[in-house]
Amino acid sequence: MIYDQPRFMPAGDRYVLIEFGNEMNLDLNFLAQGLATAAANAEIGGVIETAPCFASLLVHYEPTQIGYDDVVREFLQLSAALGSSEDIELESRLFYLPALYLDPWTKACVDDYCAKIAKKAPDAELVVQENGLDNVEHLVRLHSSSEYWVASLGFWPGLPFLMALDPRARLTAPKYNPPRTNTPKGAIGLGGAANSIYPVATPGGYQIFARTPVPIWDPTGRQEVFEGSLCLFRPGDRIKFVPVTRDEYDACEAALNDGRYSYTVVEYQKFGVRNYKKWVSKLDKKTGAAA
Amino acid sequence: MIKILKAGLETSVQDYPGRIGYWNQGFPPSGPMDSWSFRMANVLVGNAPGAAGFECQFLGPTLQFGEDTVIAITGADMTPAVDGEAVPLWQSLAVKAGQTLVLSGARVGARAYIAFAGGLANPEMLGSRSTFNKAGVGGIDGHSVKPGQELPLFQGDGTPGLKVPDNLRPQIRTDKTWDIEVCAGPNDDWIDEAGHERFLTSPWTLSAKSDRTGFRLEGPEWTFTQKATNKPREHGSLPSNIIDHGYPMGAINLAGQTPIILVNDGPSMGGFINPYTVPSCAFWKLGQSKPNETFKFKLVSVSEAQDLALQIAKRCVAENLVKA
Repeated sequence: MIYDQPRFMPAGDRYVLIEFGNEMNLDLNFLAQGLATAAANAEIGGVIETAPCFASLLVHYEPTQIGYDDVVREFLQLSAALGSSEDIELESRLFYLPALYLDPWTKACVDDYCAKIAKKAPDAELVVQENGLDNVEHLVRLHSSSEYWVASLGFWPGLPFLMALDPRARLTAPKYNPPRTNTPKGAIGLGGAANSIYPVATPGGYQIFARTPVPIWDPTGRQEVFEGSLCLFRPGDRIKFVPVTRDEYDACEAALNDGRYSYTVVEYQKFGVRNYKKWVSKLDKKTGAAA
Repeated sequence: MIKILKAGLETSVQDYPGRIGYWNQGFPPSGPMDSWSFRMANVLVGNAPGAAGFECQFLGPTLQFGEDTVIAITGADMTPAVDGEAVPLWQSLAVKAGQTLVLSGARVGARAYIAFAGGLANPEMLGSRSTFNKAGVGGIDGHSVKPGQELPLFQGDGTPGLKVPDNLRPQIRTDKTWDIEVCAGPNDDWIDEAGHERFLTSPWTLSAKSDRTGFRLEGPEWTFTQKATNKPREHGSLPSNIIDHGYPMGAINLAGQTPIILVNDGPSMGGFINPYTVPSCAFWKLGQSKPNETFKFKLVSVSEAQDLALQIAKRCVAENLVKA
């Protein structure tokens, strides 16, 4: 459900949580990111920062400069001026990341989990079963066919929560129970309806079936493409996974080690929700015709 | 220059308010947990209240001074001594190059702060010198200090012999019980009447499994409203599951039945509800409490909490200092 009016909830003395609805869909995240962008442009005194999540926006404010009621009033106004999600246009960089699907490292990690913690179906096979796909090759084709939308970042700094923009590539998977105690850095996985990339080796609960050699986290802060941050992505970016062979993966890693690797990123694009929805409805019609 | 001879349990560089502005990329602010004591230490040595200094947890470090400077130690009582001689807390002190400062185990409180005239001059990461130990960001090499490290200082202008009057210091409890302010929300409507009653009237024990990312509490069961038990599938299977959302610092995050107060190095988002939030005015109490001590929560309004934070900030100014 999408609420008629966003709901404002106080969160201590310095934060407000704004909810747009109570389901997972891209539209709610477009609203959250549209409002975050509008707030940044409006430069409201006392509003320090905002952080979008799937269906909500957290606002951090300085109470000596703006009161709770004024934060609510300002964001209600901005939200009303946004109109429907259709009118939202967001700056959106597109990153092409090489990915070795069905790689040996995530497989070894899953084998280790099965041996030491709990037996389970191999992750790629599990995703195939859960989504009625033909085989793991089908999973690779489908998963690499879509662009992914960076809905938010969290859990670990720079860890992106990704939603498939192509509805045909929207897969779901249960999360690990209990979670893994480790995940290879760069592993790509799926949990619930969200995809992610692990910036560093951390515990995790997503089904993992691919790996990128390209760092998305750099604590030295020296990567130019990170634009002064320590992590690659911002909310509203898009990612396309480019399947590579093991040889290409190794070559890419060697280039990274020698400092010869350059990230493939397209920066001039705006993401228009109206155009996106037009495309999705065209797909729906086609699928309807085929059925 | 300050040389680390012994590291203590987990001594880290922090500044205040920390690494602000990167919540949407998942970076917590870090910074001192008891920012009242921290700011006072800086003010004592003539610094801006937020300048970088040390946070010492439970067991303090041994430091050697590479230059003459002015220091102040506040917060927990770790029986500080310079060259073997006890020195007072809450006062600015002159120290000489070559002297050694030893902080021992905390007798009262949990976290001591050391400020140096000028402040620590380690490089900034994303606009802050604070250490985010878990991710290896900021501080020296991203982590708490290690023996042998040398930290540069900025040029300072400190006056020894100043002190913070008793009535302007946080009163660290010695009876192991703390009254902690909380604000209701953001997800208070997921908890039923009985659950709220139980939360606000029961004693909660601080678990040993607590650190600068979260403070785990042990206490009675939580009970829920319809909102938690009858909801769309994508929220998750537990009553306390919600579609991943942003976490405010101080959130009392209900992971299943275990409440965890998310503190300075905590996560920015996740899939559990936050029925209450500890406001910034009560963080010094969290910073000075020890495992197995008891928390009782006291409901305050947002504006009361804001006013309490303002009162603390007003205390942390140089005009309030007196001659020792």
